Amino acid sequence: MNNGNGRRLNGETEEDDDDEGSEGDLDAWERTYADERSWESLQEDESGLLRPVDNTTLYHAQYRRRIRSLSSQATTARIQKGLIRYLYIVVDLSRAAAEMDYRPSRMAVVAKHVEAFIREFFDQNPLSQLGLVTIKDGIAHCLTDLGGSPESHVKALMGKLECSGESSLQNALDLVHGYLNQIPSYGHREVLILYSALSTCDPGDILETIQKCKKSKMRCSVIGISAEIFICKHLCQETGGSYSVAMDESHFKELILEHAPPPPAIAEFAIANLIKMGFPQRAAESSIAICSCHKEAKVGGGYTCPRCKARVCELPTECRICGLTLISSPHLARSYHHLFPIVPFDEVSPSVLNDPHNRLPRSCFGCQQSFPNPGNKPSLRVACPKCKQHFCLDCDIYIHESLHNCPGCESFRHSKSPIATEE
Amino acid sequence: MKFQIEDVTVYFPYDHIYPEQYAYMVELKRALDARGHCLLEMPTGTGKTIALLSLITSYTLSKPNNPVKLIYCTRTVHEMEKTLAELKLLHAYQTIHIGDRARILAVGLSSRKNLCVNSRVLAAENRDSVDASCRRLTASWVRVAAAANPNLPTCEFFEEYEKAGSNAVLPPGVYTLQDLRAYGKEKGWCPYFLARHMVQFANVVVYSYQYLLDPKVAGYISKEMQKESVVVFDEAHNIDNVCIEALSVSVRRQTLEGARRNLNKMRQEIEKFKATDAGRLRAEYNRLVEGLAQRGNLPFTDNWLSNPALPDDILKEAVPGNIRRAEHFLHVLRRLVQYLEGRLETDNVEKEGPVGFVASINTHAGIDQKTLKFCYDRLHSLMLTLEITDTDEFLHIQTICDFATLVGTYTRGFSIIIEPFDERMPHIPDPVLQLSCHDASLAIKPVFDRFQSVVITSGTLSPIDLYPRLLNFHPVVSRSFTMSLTRDCICPMVLTRGSDQLPVSTKFDMRSDLGVVRNYGRLLLEMASVVPDGIVCFFVSYSYMDGIVNSWNENGILKEIMQHKLVFIETQDVVETTLALDNYRKACDCGRGAIFFSVARGKVAEGIDFDRHYGRLVIMFGVPFQYTLSKILLARLEYLRDTFQIKEGDFLTFDALRQAAQCVGRVIRSKADYGMMIFADKRYSRHDKRSKLPGWILSHLRDAHLNLSTDMALHIAREFLRKMAQPYDRAGGSGRKTLLSQEDVEKMGDGILNEMQY
Repeated sequence: MNNGNGRRLNGETEEDDDDEGSEGDLDAWERTYADERSWESLQEDESGLLRPVDNTTLYHAQYRRRIRSLSSQATTARIQKGLIRYLYIVVDLSRAAAEMDYRPSRMAVVAKHVEAFIREFFDQNPLSQLGLVTIKDGIAHCLTDLGGSPESHVKALMGKLECSGESSLQNALDLVHGYLNQIPSYGHREVLILYSALSTCDPGDILETIQKCKKSKMRCSVIGISAEIFICKHLCQETGGSYSVAMDESHFKELILEHAPPPPAIAEFAIANLIKMGFPQRAAESSIAICSCHKEAKVGGGYTCPRCKARVCELPTECRICGLTLISSPHLARSYHHLFPIVPFDEVSPSVLNDPHNRLPRSCFGCQQSFPNPGNKPSLRVACPKCKQHFCLDCDIYIHESLHNCPGCESFRHSKSPIATEE
Repeated sequence: MKFQIEDVTVYFPYDHIYPEQYAYMVELKRALDARGHCLLEMPTGTGKTIALLSLITSYTLSKPNNPVKLIYCTRTVHEMEKTLAELKLLHAYQTIHIGDRARILAVGLSSRKNLCVNSRVLAAENRDSVDASCRRLTASWVRVAAAANPNLPTCEFFEEYEKAGSNAVLPPGVYTLQDLRAYGKEKGWCPYFLARHMVQFANVVVYSYQYLLDPKVAGYISKEMQKESVVVFDEAHNIDNVCIEALSVSVRRQTLEGARRNLNKMRQEIEKFKATDAGRLRAEYNRLVEGLAQRGNLPFTDNWLSNPALPDDILKEAVPGNIRRAEHFLHVLRRLVQYLEGRLETDNVEKEGPVGFVASINTHAGIDQKTLKFCYDRLHSLMLTLEITDTDEFLHIQTICDFATLVGTYTRGFSIIIEPFDERMPHIPDPVLQLSCHDASLAIKPVFDRFQSVVITSGTLSPIDLYPRLLNFHPVVSRSFTMSLTRDCICPMVLTRGSDQLPVSTKFDMRSDLGVVRNYGRLLLEMASVVPDGIVCFFVSYSYMDGIVNSWNENGILKEIMQHKLVFIETQDVVETTLALDNYRKACDCGRGAIFFSVARGKVAEGIDFDRHYGRLVIMFGVPFQYTLSKILLARLEYLRDTFQIKEGDFLTFDALRQAAQCVGRVIRSKADYGMMIFADKRYSRHDKRSKLPGWILSHLRDAHLNLSTDMALHIAREFLRKMAQPYDRAGGSGRKTLLSQEDVEKMGDGILNEMQY
């Protein structure tokens, strides 16, 4: 028994050793064991039977906690949100990023989700800009400058995926600090660090750098890949960012996407400011013009800057000629829901469910699927505190994360609205 | 919060209480009710100190008719300050609730070095010289002389204190050492003598173990304590060793040389006095004829050490005639020193009982047992007569007299061992004569007899049934409590094999095996690559640490480790170690990560905390058995077997495992903290070893973690660290409650008690 155990886990060491050659020595059956860790998805119940790990309730509980923590901030005061964000993503490409506890490697997983994040980020924050920095061999490199185009960032990141050497948090912070310090005061300076390494090799005193970042109001957040590191925690606490450590790939994805919606603005920072913006018109289909971003003649499509009449291909962007922020009204509208989030739904307690006198809806108001029999498990349905409609867990997540409107309240308003207009 | 335990209203300064603290208080209260001794084990980080303090002070408050005094003994000055700070908090809370009735006087007492405010005295570098320079300014004859001649220096703080006379008292309150110094400075009174005076009247006294256990010190500090006292020994897992050390003396060649010098000096002094002030010597002689009963009349600056034997064993008799005269006494001492020198000249190890030794002294040096017994008192008297204030210079002769008195007083439980060289370094002659006490119960017996309740408590007292046997007492309560946790924040593992599946151990025949050395190195290397911030490693001895670090250096493992983390090392030098520790902390703080190599039973293992990021992982390389070939240990084992029926193996394992538990316990100091513990030796997987670990470690040691190899441990470590990095709910929302509010406590009553015990 022991022997078998040891042999099976042998595969693991070799994979942990980040030794490429040894992987080939494994037998096929061993490889599936080592790769998929199928035993981890099983758990023993009270009677000793094996059953797959039931993660759905767990995930939902996590999600609820997150929503609650977000809303608790929101309800205390009508908070201001930083809708114009200047975010640098720092990707750690030190030696530790080559480790293969994530498949195929930490680096690849991080890159994959950074790509998804970049798209989501621009989707949610059309007014914001983003740049990429990597750390390699103890030195920080700027991969892309601040910009509004997702494609260029993704392309730059994917082209640079190799890792080596130590990691240095201080160098990265110094570099980013240099860039972000020039940002006008209405923009929110943020850094998101995706940190694989467990230590940082710095040329000087990192604590000073952290104070410098704090002074210039950079909000630094860190997502750790392997374990909690004191200095990262300290950095986040000092600068008001959030620190989290990913359990596995899906958790990492969740954590990184949490940074897509705009964070609450730092109080002293939230000075009301008027910002000049242009709403360019879409050029006629057949018009030919030289595009200012690609420097070549293009037929049709594109937008014209209202101030200098230059042609740009995509929105949102900054006009290359006159520097005006160009944007379309749907972009502004998309940022709008951040200011008026829907309240979190209440869990329906099992005591209400089991009460035979209460006639509760049988199916979810959102997807119309009927609720499973609750039994004595924790509640599987939630209710909107305003319209009192019941929803299933999947709809709950969908409404809060994607739809940003409660179907119950909306339909309620529609049925009422004719009367309202008559008055 | 405020709640009721049976008939006692307990005032607890925090809003929430851990269930184990509550259980602890209930047990403690029962022991106080029964007026008996108790033995309580509760893990570190669960707030033992505050639970103890708040129960005992509340107990006094609710029973105003027979107030009990609390004597709280700590191991270090740092712990003393911490305890007093907690007490201050508690006192403030109680004063808010019941006003003036809560008034107490609590003082900490430490040596002059920690309390003195006189800058001239403090300039001295060690404790003994601070004591001596204080005496130089405050001894009664110095002050008499100074009264006549104002140019002689005295201590202005002491003079002020004396002038204030009986008005020099502390107002009620809680005084830490720092407060005492500040108060002394403000009033111009000597804080040390003030504190020593107030100890008799205080409701709570916090001081070090020695003040109760070492008869030399206890004689004049703790004599006045009333019987209705509760004595608490905190962190008492090593109490047996403290007891033994208090009654053990070792004599080296340097001691004897020093003693000779002291004797010469004293002879000169006597000659001088004979010429100038012969009456003084005669007066002393007359006093001695009447007996030494007049000690009580001595001004209290003058007595510094009392008899090293325990109070009950001191004869209430006059000093024998042959040493009453100063010259005769010096002759006796000279002969004794000469005899001891002769004994040290041996080439082989000798072991003798006290009876045989005394007989041999009698035949060779002509000193009988009774004379030996009185040596210490006689020396003390002589030094007073000769007005010697440089007590630090006379340490050597004091050691000799100490030895003589002990050897003359006790016939059982001791042995005299003469070793011509240290066994580990046989080429360097370093003869040492040791009088070693084997019976820990001797020194602590007067404490048990004198006081109403004695509480022995620590984070590691397992196996809890062994302590009553070692210390020879009958506890009315002996309990071990678990720690209620909201999450499994400690992760003990037993690692038995390296990655190559070969067993690892520090067993004598295996420890120098290259495979074992390499496997240990790989273990540390791999752990360094997955554990963030600080790692602490404990080795079984300095020599083993030196050896293994050396071979890691040779085969390049150390260099690889240094790529991940910086490496710091404990040495026998205190200053160097402190520096290393400082830098270690700095490296952890700034995110570089560091490893600290340390030795079980060393200073670091006993007193330094590696909490939070300073210690995410502790690796115990090997089982820290004592050096089993040591003659002293063998003699003690023999004695324990014959007297208390404790098997040698049992005692050795017990001792090794409590050290190991002590080492690994360094990483976790509160419930919010988390840490891993790796016991890297195949012997830990055996039940007889493992079962002696404290319950709070055992309860987290899962069966699956009992027989790991490096790769498996690595996997577990990764998972554990990820899990612990997640945000968590402090109060323990699901199911088991780990923080009780006032209502909870009132509701639960006794139900909780059974849950918290093993």
